[in-house]
Amino acid sequence: MLLAIDTSAGTSAAVFRGDELVAFELYDDPFGHAENIGLAIQKVLATAGISTKELTQLAVGRGPAPYTGLRVGIAAGTSLASALGIRPIGVITLDAVGLQHTTGRVLVVADAKRKEFFAAGFDAGQQVLPPSVLSAVELAQQTDFEHVSGVCDARLVGQYALHALANGDDLSDVSALYLRSPDVTPSPGKKVTG
Amino acid sequence: MELKLLTAADVAAVMEIEQDLFGSEAWAERTVLSEIENPFTHYIGIFDGGLVGYAGLNSVPASFSADIQTIAVAAGSQGKGYGKLLLEWLMDRALQLGAEQVVLEVRADNDRAVGLYNKFGFEQIDLRKRYYQPSGVDALVMRVQVNQPIVLGIESTCDETGVGIVRGNRLLANALHSSMDEHAKFGGVVPEVAARAHLEAFEPTLQKALDEAGITIEEVDAIAVANGPGLAGALMVGIGAAKGLSLAHNKPLYAVNHLVGHVGADVLERGTVSLPTIALLVSGGHTSLLLVRDLLEDVELLGETIDDAAGEAFDKVARVLGLPYPGGPQIDAIAATGNPKAVRFPRGLSLPKDMEKHRFDFSFSGLKTAVARHVEKAEILGEEISKPDVAASFREAVVDVLLTKAIAACQMYDVPRLLLGGGVVANARLRQVAAERCQEAGIELRIPKFSLCTDNGAMIASIGAQLVMNGKAPSSIGFGAESTLDVTQVQTH
Repeated sequence: MLLAIDTSAGTSAAVFRGDELVAFELYDDPFGHAENIGLAIQKVLATAGISTKELTQLAVGRGPAPYTGLRVGIAAGTSLASALGIRPIGVITLDAVGLQHTTGRVLVVADAKRKEFFAAGFDAGQQVLPPSVLSAVELAQQTDFEHVSGVCDARLVGQYALHALANGDDLSDVSALYLRSPDVTPSPGKKVTG
Repeated sequence: MELKLLTAADVAAVMEIEQDLFGSEAWAERTVLSEIENPFTHYIGIFDGGLVGYAGLNSVPASFSADIQTIAVAAGSQGKGYGKLLLEWLMDRALQLGAEQVVLEVRADNDRAVGLYNKFGFEQIDLRKRYYQPSGVDALVMRVQVNQPIVLGIESTCDETGVGIVRGNRLLANALHSSMDEHAKFGGVVPEVAARAHLEAFEPTLQKALDEAGITIEEVDAIAVANGPGLAGALMVGIGAAKGLSLAHNKPLYAVNHLVGHVGADVLERGTVSLPTIALLVSGGHTSLLLVRDLLEDVELLGETIDDAAGEAFDKVARVLGLPYPGGPQIDAIAATGNPKAVRFPRGLSLPKDMEKHRFDFSFSGLKTAVARHVEKAEILGEEISKPDVAASFREAVVDVLLTKAIAACQMYDVPRLLLGGGVVANARLRQVAAERCQEAGIELRIPKFSLCTDNGAMIASIGAQLVMNGKAPSSIGFGAESTLDVTQVQTH
């Protein structure tokens, strides 16, 4: 049994029995991650009719995504996994969306706020452009890709985890994928006289 | 029928039952009175028409043990389950007080009482020969263990990732990871930097706390998390982690107030917070003056800073003086050799006109500007300033205004107790002046040890434990981060 959690856009959770999706819950609210994370997990467990003890795998979406919400899902997922003695699985959300496009060249694009975009490029499902931050101009220059929405959820995170694990990929990194440094510059201090 | 705490007014009714039941071995009236009035005893009576039964418990704070002093039911009211009711009340109270065991003496020939105690799990641990006089009857010493709740508390309101574990009033672990060094180059806490650090530090800090306490997460009875006030992004990491832990093994989850946590920290040292008390919480994020009448039910905000927190002012003034972050320890160190009266810096919100609206509020922004002006003026004039003198004078202004207002609050509300909390408590001058002024004013001063004064997980666990011990329902799983959580809201439901 795999529990997938994602807070890269809305707040969502999903339960898979083998490859089969047996429960999915999504809260769209882009600001309610802290409020909804527990509710989403509780609901999918109830729908699947299982307790946490039956979970054998746990996958979390690592972004890239707006940071504040993203961290809630990772914090909940990793602490839940740790309490259950499960090693958590980290899924890059752009990869999870990219997996849905098995043909053609697609650029998976997600809002990075501040007029920037998170994007990753895929050719027939194979990653050809790693997750990056692009400006609007840079994004417009990516003309040899079909641009698709990078909005992810726990369903896609779970599907990607199952797919990648079957391939033997290493998904042990569960850190948030920020791709940008914190937006701060040391204060120069200012004069008060004059 | 009702249960009520006994007062001195009930002594006569108690004496009547005492003498009827115990005759020559009855307590003297003055004993009964002093028992009821002892601050460490808890006497309850059952009233049905008049007093028909009573019982008392004694527990010295921080002792982790409670003694049953007596249980008595009037001859005409026996066989109605009153004894059981009284004992249940005593056991509940023992739990609330943090007792890990309850001990009692009972007449060896009192089968009925011994039977009742056995039902509650009491076991004989000792025998006192001819204890009761003049009858010469032996006393059995009996004991039962009280299972105090193990609560894990999570703190992530600012730049400290804290995971603490308590069992009732006992501190089991207090693991901390600070991201202070990462903020140093910015001269202050950067919310995004703090939030990132929390996410990275949480798991190792959790493991450290569990190791320190020597328990597994499954042995924890409840999870508590500070859901405000604080930095939203930072709070959300703690809340996410808390919800994950809570769901893993279906543990009740309590969302608690960070500021009240600072007050509750004292429980871990003293077994109780002496109440009512004025609490002065001073840190890089807060400067708050509270009146605490009841830790869980009645916390009032008397005043707080209207601009910078005191700790923030230390950081900013340190920067003006060319000292590194965090400013508090730096200023404290160089101020040691300075003259605190060298420069008379302003005391914010201390003028007569401020008394109406801002009696107990603080303002440090003007003070910081005054220091900067002083330094810049000297620079323009090409004069040398004495950094130790400026630091000492600034520190004196902060300490003076903090304690003047705190002590005025003690006097105005007639509360002879002051509790200090928050990271600025590390300031040597603050502690020194607090001790002097409290002594002058006849106010009892409490300063918990430093590791419990700064932001930490144990204080959050402690409030969580108090909620559990007092039978409060857990928070619902849908609570969120409340950056400006009001101090009156001890628990978010």
